[in-house]
Amino acid sequence: MKTANQPLLSLKGITKRFGALTAVDAVDLEVCPGEIVVIIGPSGSGKSTLLRAVNFLEEIEEGTITFEGSEVGYLRSKKGRRHLDTPLRICALRSEIGMVFQHFNLFPHMTVLGNVMEGPLTVQKKSPGEARERALDMLAKVGLSEKRDVYPATLSGGQKQRVAIARALAMRPKLMLFDEPTSALDPELIGEVFDTIRALGKEGMTMIIVTHQMGFAKEMADRVIFMEAGSFVAQGTPEDFFANQMEHDRIKSFLTRIL
Amino acid sequence: MNLRSGRVFRTILLFACLLLLLVPLSRAEDYDQIFSESNEAMGRGDLPAAIALLKKIPVSKGEDNAAFVRSRMQIARLHFALKDLPAASADAREVLAIYPDNSEALNFLASVKREQKSRFAVFLEDCLRFLPNLLKGSVMTITLVFCTMLVSPLGGLLIALGRLSRFKLFSTLCWFIIWLFRGTPLLLQLFFIYYGLPALGVTFKPFTAAVLGLGLNYSAYLGEIIRGGIQSIEHGQMEAAKAIGMTYGQAMRRVIIPQTYKRLMPPIGNEFIALIKDTALVSTIAMVELMRSADQMFNAYFNITALILAALIYLLFTTIFTFIFEKIETRAGIYENR
Repeated sequence: MKTANQPLLSLKGITKRFGALTAVDAVDLEVCPGEIVVIIGPSGSGKSTLLRAVNFLEEIEEGTITFEGSEVGYLRSKKGRRHLDTPLRICALRSEIGMVFQHFNLFPHMTVLGNVMEGPLTVQKKSPGEARERALDMLAKVGLSEKRDVYPATLSGGQKQRVAIARALAMRPKLMLFDEPTSALDPELIGEVFDTIRALGKEGMTMIIVTHQMGFAKEMADRVIFMEAGSFVAQGTPEDFFANQMEHDRIKSFLTRIL
Repeated sequence: MNLRSGRVFRTILLFACLLLLLVPLSRAEDYDQIFSESNEAMGRGDLPAAIALLKKIPVSKGEDNAAFVRSRMQIARLHFALKDLPAASADAREVLAIYPDNSEALNFLASVKREQKSRFAVFLEDCLRFLPNLLKGSVMTITLVFCTMLVSPLGGLLIALGRLSRFKLFSTLCWFIIWLFRGTPLLLQLFFIYYGLPALGVTFKPFTAAVLGLGLNYSAYLGEIIRGGIQSIEHGQMEAAKAIGMTYGQAMRRVIIPQTYKRLMPPIGNEFIALIKDTALVSTIAMVELMRSADQMFNAYFNITALILAALIYLLFTTIFTFIFEKIETRAGIYENR
């Protein structure tokens, strides 16, 4: 049953361990439709791991993921051991959650258009014509229509990331995850990627963005979360966060290092 | 006087008779003398002197021309040794004039004829003689190569995916196949399949056994190459494919494996060139292919041209393959250059 204020995504007690290291430690998070959540924090704080857990690229040890009101992704065996849901159901979930990576991960053997068509064509089994049409729409949205027939190797970093965004959008996801989308880019190319993300936000896309770009967090975020050592240390609206939470020593030292 | 003259006459007649008896004896002794003298001359290295001595033996009107034949053939050989080929064939013809069927003279004449031709002409003649059989063998070699090239990449892909599988049973099984077929000689595997398995009640025709042996062996090698290729693809590619909702199979088929083609071409080309040569091993299990044909020709004629020709055909095949694989490699990696 859906209600107007029902969160799109709800995480409860998410815990991910790598051996002795607890990368994500009992994290709770609710993201409402249309909300833009920006997660900041030092490297190794578990931001990326948390994001990857939402897309089931990391299997979590504890906690629940609720998407559109139903708990998803994990099953319990008769012995009570939890494990990932069947591959098909995981794939179905992933196709509703878009993800953009730090290193773009475009498919180098496909043209730009081929990259963007691939999801609708192979996963959603659309006809080539329909997939192509949708892909062209998405390329127009990220402003790269004229690059459709070239291979990714010839694109700049910023263009690659915009193609990667178009590839994720072509699946018509309900939620977009951005894992440090500008960290691998030259400074002068960061702007074009954020312009693209900004445009998405204006369309009402729900997004979780991990980034080090404080300016962007200030401008775009509905909520800013500071994460350290696997936990959320502080969160709030950008105004509140940058005005008040700055008192927090660790945030202060992190921000002074970043800015 | 009459009586005396009669005695004298009788004495003369007796001497004549003795002479007549002696003459053939002395002539044979003379010939032996000539042969030994000419041998001495040959020993000194004076071949013309040896020829001159032997020429003294005339053709006789009687039945026995053994010494003559022997001398003329000897002269012919000496002329041959002196590279005087026209004189050598003339000597042999002298013998044939008396004995047209003399096989020694006939064979000699044939080898003089061969000698008179250029070496290249002889080689070409041999080539023409051996080529039909060698080409027949080559067809079998190429058939074997193509069958193995069809079977082994599929087998290799299965083995590679098996090795990468999360299912322990499957990955262990594939590890075992690689361990077994890479760890024993191909020759032994062929023997086992063709000669060994019938003892266990499984019998194959030579061709089936050959393709089975080559196919399994090359699948094992290609399996490791393909696994290496798959693992060399950056991990982010699999994650990106999964992130747009692809299953493992879709990601492999659409994203990972197509990217391995360019990287796999050099090592797979290597394997297939090795395969062309490895097909020679199936000659041991009753298959007549290029190597076996060459061996048969070589043994029948004791002529090295058969082996040279086979080597040239193998080189031709490997050259063509090298060329084709270079072309495919360039095409497979086209996205990296544009």
